[in-house]
Amino acid sequence: MKITLTVNGAAATVQVEPRTHLADLLRGELLLTGTHLGCEHGVCGACTVEVDGAPARSCLMHAGACDGASVCTIEGFGEDAVMAALREGFSAEHALQCGYCTPGMLVVARDIVLRLPDADEARVREELAGNLCRCTGYRGIVRAILGVLAARRGAAT
Amino acid sequence: MTAPEGGGDAARDALSRSPRGVGAPLRRKEDARFLHGRGRYVGDIRPAGTLEVAFLRSPVAHARLLGVQKPANGLVFTAADLTEIAPIRANSALPGFRPSDQPALASGKLRHVGEPIAACVAASRAEAEDLAAACVLDYQALPAIADMLAARAPGSALIHEHWPDNAFLETRRDEDLADLDAIAAAKVRRRLRTARQSMAPLEGRGVLAEWDPRLEQLIVTTAAQMPHVTKTGLAECLGLDEGQVRVVAPDVGGGFGYKGILLPEELVCAALAMRLGRPVRWLEDRLEQLTANANCREHFYDVTAWADAKGKLLGVAVDATVDAGAYSAYPFSACLEAAQIGSIFPGPYVLPRFRFHTVSACTNKPPILPYRGVARTGVCYAMETTLDALARQLGISAQAIRAANLVPPTAMPYRNLVGKVFDSGDYPEALRRAVAAVDVAAVRARQAAGETVGFGLSVFCEQGAHGTSVYHGWGIPFVPGFEQAQARFTPDGVLELRVGLHSHGQGLETTLAQVAHEILGVDPARVRLVHGDTALTPYSTGTWGSRAMVMAGGAVAEACRLLGERALAIGAALLQAPVEGCSLRAGAIHHGEAQVTLDQVARTWFRSPQNLPANVDRGGLDVTAGYRPDPDTGTHSYAAHAVVARVDTETGNVTLEQYVIVEDGGVLVNPMIVDGQVLGGAAQGIGTALYEEMPFDTEAQPLAGTLADYLLPGATEVPDIRIEHMETPSPWTRFGQKGIGESGAIGPPGAIVNAINDALAPLGAEVLDLPATPARVLAALARAGRA
Repeated sequence: MKITLTVNGAAATVQVEPRTHLADLLRGELLLTGTHLGCEHGVCGACTVEVDGAPARSCLMHAGACDGASVCTIEGFGEDAVMAALREGFSAEHALQCGYCTPGMLVVARDIVLRLPDADEARVREELAGNLCRCTGYRGIVRAILGVLAARRGAAT
Repeated sequence: MTAPEGGGDAARDALSRSPRGVGAPLRRKEDARFLHGRGRYVGDIRPAGTLEVAFLRSPVAHARLLGVQKPANGLVFTAADLTEIAPIRANSALPGFRPSDQPALASGKLRHVGEPIAACVAASRAEAEDLAAACVLDYQALPAIADMLAARAPGSALIHEHWPDNAFLETRRDEDLADLDAIAAAKVRRRLRTARQSMAPLEGRGVLAEWDPRLEQLIVTTAAQMPHVTKTGLAECLGLDEGQVRVVAPDVGGGFGYKGILLPEELVCAALAMRLGRPVRWLEDRLEQLTANANCREHFYDVTAWADAKGKLLGVAVDATVDAGAYSAYPFSACLEAAQIGSIFPGPYVLPRFRFHTVSACTNKPPILPYRGVARTGVCYAMETTLDALARQLGISAQAIRAANLVPPTAMPYRNLVGKVFDSGDYPEALRRAVAAVDVAAVRARQAAGETVGFGLSVFCEQGAHGTSVYHGWGIPFVPGFEQAQARFTPDGVLELRVGLHSHGQGLETTLAQVAHEILGVDPARVRLVHGDTALTPYSTGTWGSRAMVMAGGAVAEACRLLGERALAIGAALLQAPVEGCSLRAGAIHHGEAQVTLDQVARTWFRSPQNLPANVDRGGLDVTAGYRPDPDTGTHSYAAHAVVARVDTETGNVTLEQYVIVEDGGVLVNPMIVDGQVLGGAAQGIGTALYEEMPFDTEAQPLAGTLADYLLPGATEVPDIRIEHMETPSPWTRFGQKGIGESGAIGPPGAIVNAINDALAPLGAEVLDLPATPARVLAALARAGRA
């Protein structure tokens, strides 16, 4: 089946099989390999991308269902200020080791920062429950997100 | 010229304390690519014309394989088609070890669920899976050995039929301890089990094999921790010269031991690439990982311990069985865990008398691999819970019984009764600090008020970077020797380091650059690490056993030192000064007020040699150096973990309220990265303690096929762990550093279950088996008549 979608701001028209999931389309056809596959059953969160402005598991979405959708992957955030602050925070807090969960973590972290400006540590941890990291023990990830939240609250007052 | 010996307080005191050198929490050079999605893992690499493989795997644990009916169309290969692949054989020289032949594709018998039977090859993975689904298997089921303790029951089915029973190896140390019954103030016996786990790195395994007809060389790109060992194994099993095999490990998405193995899938993809003349790729999916490769940590302990009235250990007897699965995996063999239990069971304690017996049991489960901490996580669990049982019987505290037995700092270096040599440290101080970091009195007050809350401790040491003298006796397929590193300048003055081990998240691109900065003063931003490619790097046994910073750190330091001498000679010539009057500091050769930078030295050597005198040293700016600590019996990092846990007696749920780790890794090359290793290891240890379990049914069928069944700890399960460091230099390593990578994963099960049992003690209940799931906590309460 033929679908047209917007990926990282550019229109793409592609031929996909009905059984192809969005992650395979992004990685295989569009060569956007920053989106990682960890479980392909929606638990680990490594494949998380933004679909129409909200985080989504690209391993659970059929590509065919994304006709007309707007998708943003880790490669597509450009100069986005929140993503830039998160990247800085992740590096400063040693929130990544092997890097495999990192793109999905960043997409979810950006959503947390934008949607929950007053989130505390417990809330951040709850919001991260759908993203597994096997290397860091999460402390750096949580601290990085809390740091960006605090900086934005500071800037807003 | 002899190398500086290094080590100890002198090595620590000699550090530059540069904000980019050894000891600095330098941010990681590798972060930028990962944060932008530019990491490159095996699954991201797909050359034109690549064929994908799906494996038809055994649906049963034990059977005679009678035949495979292939679909009419399509590329399907069985063992009968790929006779060029010799079986994988990981022997051990330990007396009595029984080798197993592990076929790359099953032949004659099926020995565990998930064992590869046929390789199905197509343009896409989906089509390859269609082929696998169209195959029809003919087999005759045999009784499966699902339990390690039943494996040797009389009349049991034999997994390897030419063996007399289902055991790879037994080891023992005999000592009659019967007299202790009469003199001991306390004696306890505990039977403890730990669950089988899957290491579950987020990236699965993956292999891309290509045949280069020009070089007549096989190129295997694979998610590997030990690329050179993989290369040797591939060459041996495929009958190729080692020069005909190149192994490339790109970014690796977590290893933890899971990727320290020669894979049947690597052999099959390699053989197919050679036959088909096309790139051939296989990417493990999570179902394969969980069901075919749940391969670690399953132990059983029967421990008896005797102590005097003050808690001093009089003796310990342990009978341990490790479920080693169906085959001996390459290179660590089937006996690595069980055979180590005897030597590591005494832990950080002075143990006067000791008896052990261990069995590496063969079962119809995936072959065992050493997971972060190797046997130590189970051993620490058994020893630490046994100590608490003794303390409860004696009416003394958990701190007191440990303090009574820890090796004192005055005894360092200390050789224990089974010959382990601890290099340095103050174990009792780590214990004191861990206890002081927690308000134990508050826990006791809450207990007095009726809360089921508890305090738990574990103390352990971790041997790391142990080398030739330890491994030659094991006689497994490799023995680590002198670790080598190459250091060289490129013509523009960039320092290039080449090492044969590989990073799978440890940040070696950063830490080895810090080592180079420490020696040469070069900017870490202008240091480039080449690793993960056997064609470009010197041989190494790889990244395992908490050895990278000790071994590669030492080798890089030595290579840089020698490179500095070469640069000094050239610089002196450029300064028209005697070498003896020149010095290398801060990235430049100095003579009085005059200096030339290392950049200038490199540019001159490569691009303006006319400016050098004719009698200049001709060695050039390219040095290979080898390194091994002396002695090479290994560093011993150590830690004390302290936990406050709350138990819900209605649901059996356990909440970790506080978690403190006091850790001594010697001189820390990068404290930020060390913290990351400790925290990540501890998170995995929390998984071992409370969540992770691959259950098997009586037919040895794995029962957890998704990450919704096999529970990994998430951000809500891992508390905000506090770490305190001690930094006792190792007397034997270049900067006094110690191996630290596995430590965090060792302590949690012992400390956490001790906290649970402290909480449950007033109810007379005690958890014995891992993980301490709500069901096991409730069962413990039920046994005590409390639920």
